[in-house]
Amino acid sequence: MTRIRSYHRPSSLGDALALLTRPDIATAPIAGGTVLNGLPDTMPEEVVDLQALGLDEITRDGAMLRLGATARLQDVVDHEWTPPVLRDLAKGEAPNTLRNAATVGGTVAAADPESRFLAGLLAFGATATIVSTDGEQTVAVADVLGDGRVLAGSLIVAVSIDVDVTAAASAGTARTPADTPIVLVAGCARGGVITLAATGVAETPMVIDLSDVDALDPPGDFRGTAAYRRHLAGTLGARVVADLQEGGAV
Amino acid sequence: MRITLTINGDTRTVDCEPHESLLTVLRRDGYYSVRYGSETGETGAAAVLVDGRLVASDIMLAAQADGHQIETVEGLAPRMEMHPIQEAFVATGAIQSGYSTPAMILGTKALLDRNPDPSEDEIRDMLSGILDRETGYLRPVLAVQRAAAALRGEPVPEVVSALVPPLTYDVGGEGVADAAGLPAVFPKVVPNPEVPETKVVGKPELKVDSVKLAKGNPAFVDDIDMRQMLYAKVLYSPHAHARIVGIDDSKALALPGVKAVIHHGNVERVRYASGGQSYPNPLPYDQVSFDNKVRYVGDRVAAVAAESIEIAEDALRLIDVEYEVLPAVFDENEAIMEGAPVIHDEGEMDGAHDPERNIVHHIAADSGDVDAGLENAHRVFEQTFRVHQVQQTPIEPHIAIAYWDSDERMVIRTSTQVPFHVRRMVAPLLGLPVKQIRIVKPRIGGGFGAKQEMLIEDIVGHLTKATGRPVRLELNREEEFVSSRTRHPQTITYRTGVDALGRLVAQDMRVVANTGAYGTHGLTVQMVSGLRGLSSYNCPNKRYRCDVAYTNLPVPGAYRGYGAPQALFALEAHMEDIAHELGQDPLEFRRKNWTGVGDPIDIAPQLGEGEAPEDGFVPVITSSGLEECVAQGERAIGWKRRLDPAWRTPADRPNIRRGIGFAMCMHGSAIPGLDMGAASIKINDDGSFNMLMGATDLGTGADTILAQIAAEVLGVPLDDIIVYAADTDMTPFDVGAYASSTTYISGMAVKRAAEETRKLIVDRAALMLDESPGSIELADRRAWATDGRSVTLADVALHTLHQEQQHQIMGTASYVSSESPPPYAAQFAEVEVDVDTGQVTVKRLVMAVDCGVPINPVTAAGQVEGGMVQALGYGHCEEMAYDENGKMVNAAFGPYWIYRADEMPDIDTYLVQTMEKSGPFGAKAIAEIPKDGVAPAIRNAILDATGTRIDNLPFTPERVWRAMQSADG
Repeated sequence: MTRIRSYHRPSSLGDALALLTRPDIATAPIAGGTVLNGLPDTMPEEVVDLQALGLDEITRDGAMLRLGATARLQDVVDHEWTPPVLRDLAKGEAPNTLRNAATVGGTVAAADPESRFLAGLLAFGATATIVSTDGEQTVAVADVLGDGRVLAGSLIVAVSIDVDVTAAASAGTARTPADTPIVLVAGCARGGVITLAATGVAETPMVIDLSDVDALDPPGDFRGTAAYRRHLAGTLGARVVADLQEGGAV
Repeated sequence: MRITLTINGDTRTVDCEPHESLLTVLRRDGYYSVRYGSETGETGAAAVLVDGRLVASDIMLAAQADGHQIETVEGLAPRMEMHPIQEAFVATGAIQSGYSTPAMILGTKALLDRNPDPSEDEIRDMLSGILDRETGYLRPVLAVQRAAAALRGEPVPEVVSALVPPLTYDVGGEGVADAAGLPAVFPKVVPNPEVPETKVVGKPELKVDSVKLAKGNPAFVDDIDMRQMLYAKVLYSPHAHARIVGIDDSKALALPGVKAVIHHGNVERVRYASGGQSYPNPLPYDQVSFDNKVRYVGDRVAAVAAESIEIAEDALRLIDVEYEVLPAVFDENEAIMEGAPVIHDEGEMDGAHDPERNIVHHIAADSGDVDAGLENAHRVFEQTFRVHQVQQTPIEPHIAIAYWDSDERMVIRTSTQVPFHVRRMVAPLLGLPVKQIRIVKPRIGGGFGAKQEMLIEDIVGHLTKATGRPVRLELNREEEFVSSRTRHPQTITYRTGVDALGRLVAQDMRVVANTGAYGTHGLTVQMVSGLRGLSSYNCPNKRYRCDVAYTNLPVPGAYRGYGAPQALFALEAHMEDIAHELGQDPLEFRRKNWTGVGDPIDIAPQLGEGEAPEDGFVPVITSSGLEECVAQGERAIGWKRRLDPAWRTPADRPNIRRGIGFAMCMHGSAIPGLDMGAASIKINDDGSFNMLMGATDLGTGADTILAQIAAEVLGVPLDDIIVYAADTDMTPFDVGAYASSTTYISGMAVKRAAEETRKLIVDRAALMLDESPGSIELADRRAWATDGRSVTLADVALHTLHQEQQHQIMGTASYVSSESPPPYAAQFAEVEVDVDTGQVTVKRLVMAVDCGVPINPVTAAGQVEGGMVQALGYGHCEEMAYDENGKMVNAAFGPYWIYRADEMPDIDTYLVQTMEKSGPFGAKAIAEIPKDGVAPAIRNAILDATGTRIDNLPFTPERVWRAMQSADG
């Protein structure tokens, strides 16, 4: 477990940002801790626990579902407003002992290349609300994953999803039914436009173009070589598209 | 820092470090039910309720829990009482080792608090974060359902056996009613009319260790506090093969809190073999506590004892080691080739076959004339298989605590399967006589063979000697993967000749086995591969040749099944393919050839570990329920669906093909002529009994079934037998828990000790009743004369201990068997294969097992269910993967995948009774046979579904996809 030297639990966003932006003290935000607490004991020196910031609400404004950054994955699974495909992906993200701690914001910040939930967020075109001492900005989750530097000195406070889609679907291939997929493709149809996102094909989950899976350059491992992963991305992507065209569950 | 926790309703302030986990703080505060299985939350053994949610406390900072409500199992029920959830876990047989039971019970509470009537999916999701290597999750699910019913106020049935009508014989009398519709929690038993009536044996009695396990009481190695305890950590080699040119421990020793650093420079070089086996341990002795050479990534370099784990970890980084890195070899076939790096070049290799070629053992066994048999065969089939390396992964990793007792004798409290072997083996390493060492095995959280080793006991012993203080060493999960023990990989080639009628006429089995850096069980595992690989089927000419190779991989050792799962994967795949080549039904082809009652196990005398039997003695099979097992399994799996095209290729899922596979399994019951168990039983004032025995229960229920045997003989209920076991100071000897020996060998020792005790009771009762001893019967806690007069066993005890001709009624007995009667089984698997991706989904496993008479059908069924799921992992998803430098790349659960509760296939178990006259009350072994058939049954099911033969394990998606691609090509 991480050998941090100091633990903080601020009760305001301002205090949290002040702690996180101190120079010369490697400080990280901690939400559920299921990723951070398992990191090698090299960093950070101090942690800022976000649990007292009141960021765990799930709210809705029309078709816009807003998941508070410290809403737990289990809260997402349990919430009636969560689209079924996204619910399944959140449920598949981790077993319940970890879903009961892991959070939406933490999952985005961790950017695990095999995160099913992130693939779902990408397919839905989710955005993250990020707050820094300079103010608040809204950034596509795809951009956060594409360049984690956007989070430096900042905090994710919410993830927003437009759930008004025509259809959503996902397909994955894994060693066993609950195993982390070697590759998973999640997709959404909105109007006539289909968005596909895949895990296991790059250093983070990413939006993919089904007509150009050969351009993918996945890091291979013992579960799947790069060539096999490309094959899966194409095969699973085609299945998702077929499901979407048949009007798969939203 | 100071935090406030409300634990089980009790609010308290606790001092902790900011980096400490909630697990650490809870255990330090005495909540021992919260158990270590990992440090990153993946095992769930440390799960507790935080504000009513089940959370892994090992991945949570204690500081995060500041101000929150914590619940642990300690808070569930007061002394002498159980919560209905705990009662349900006991009644259903959901508890084996009990290591993770508290987490499951807490999860159940949280679930039922929210939802009093959860679906099975919801229950399995609740259990999804608690990995269980023991039960196969079936009985925990049933326990939650039973607890839910009880808490809703509904009646719950007493758990009894569900008798299943036999399909191949008549039970006589009124027969047996159909078991359909009986509760799933009832173990399915196919009765046999030859089995006599018993009162305690054969009944699903509650485990004798239920209270301590269900309530999370301190019972495991780590559940003690010792003043002045030091914490050990081991420095492991980062290189697969290297000489240690220099080692400088001065900076480590200078670190405040460091009390000792040991390595090859300051620990005497005493050679040994680490496998926990009977005296004399098989040669060569190719290990020393610390060597000047390392032979795999994870090999020992040095060890530190310090005031805390953190200081010990820091000290490891301060040990300067200079390595001369050497070329390494990982593949067994490459290792024995000319020019391969020589792994054991130390020149002290007595008993090694050819260390210059890395061949530690060469095994040869012959029966008949294979060359002539092959030459004269109608057809000859040759096939080569590769089986891979997997790990036992007990959820409780290796842990040992050593200390000097008040007599200045060394006590080592350790999670071991072989306490008596460990005492004998560790003594010369520590320079102590055997009499100055005591090994204590408390409850242990699973072993599966990994703990049939003297693995870390020497380290804590050396450090206690060096410091004079208690020393604790617990492997973390990564260390458990890379530095404990694993299953032997093998390359297996069969050549089989058949005659025109499809009968085997010659079988030639060639194995090149990979024993990693050290020999340990390398000889005997591979002997079992030959024995099991050449015993299932009758064949007049057999030959076994095996080279066991050193490589630079982490060390294989004993793993449940020993060498059988490897051999039977190859054999049952080979037999399947021969049947197809011959155009015969695979079941009928096997039936034509499989062994049965009266057939000799002709290769056994040459591949037995024990003392060679008298000249010419060949063991003969004395019981077999195989035909009934096959019949039950065929019916349960729906074997005939293989013939239905609509089922095989579902119209609505065009990428899916379905198939069913079969494998026949035959195992052994203990090592004949070698395995020995002993027990003693003494009566107490109230007519209860203390039973002391060396047998080592690692969660299997051994203590329970052995107590059932004693209770049956002594005419008392099970709870009159108080068991204490596996303590080298206190109990008689036993070889330990391995080789499927406990029920058969220790069981006979207990039976004989009980009969000895019974004789003394009968003598005294005869005196008291003025009857002849021959007319006295024991039943219902009384000794009865034929005229209906009786005395209680308490009367007998008081009379004997206090009143007349006083003496202690106490019986002691030992047992060794010259036989090892084989249990048989039929294993079936149903799969779906995604032909576009290669993904295999195992939908159903059915195993019908002939274990003789199951002493306890619930624990026996639990052994089969859990064993099948381990075997499922072996065949389907588990593998130790390495980079090009021999470093394991998936040394954590997740990347190394073991099955979870929420993804299980249906599993169905049948216990087919036979009356094995040489066993205690008709029993044979059951522990290992469930490991034998799943991988080949899945393989044969994939073949059935797709027509693709895959001769390498495991059946991961890319391997299956590529095999189908090349088959198509």
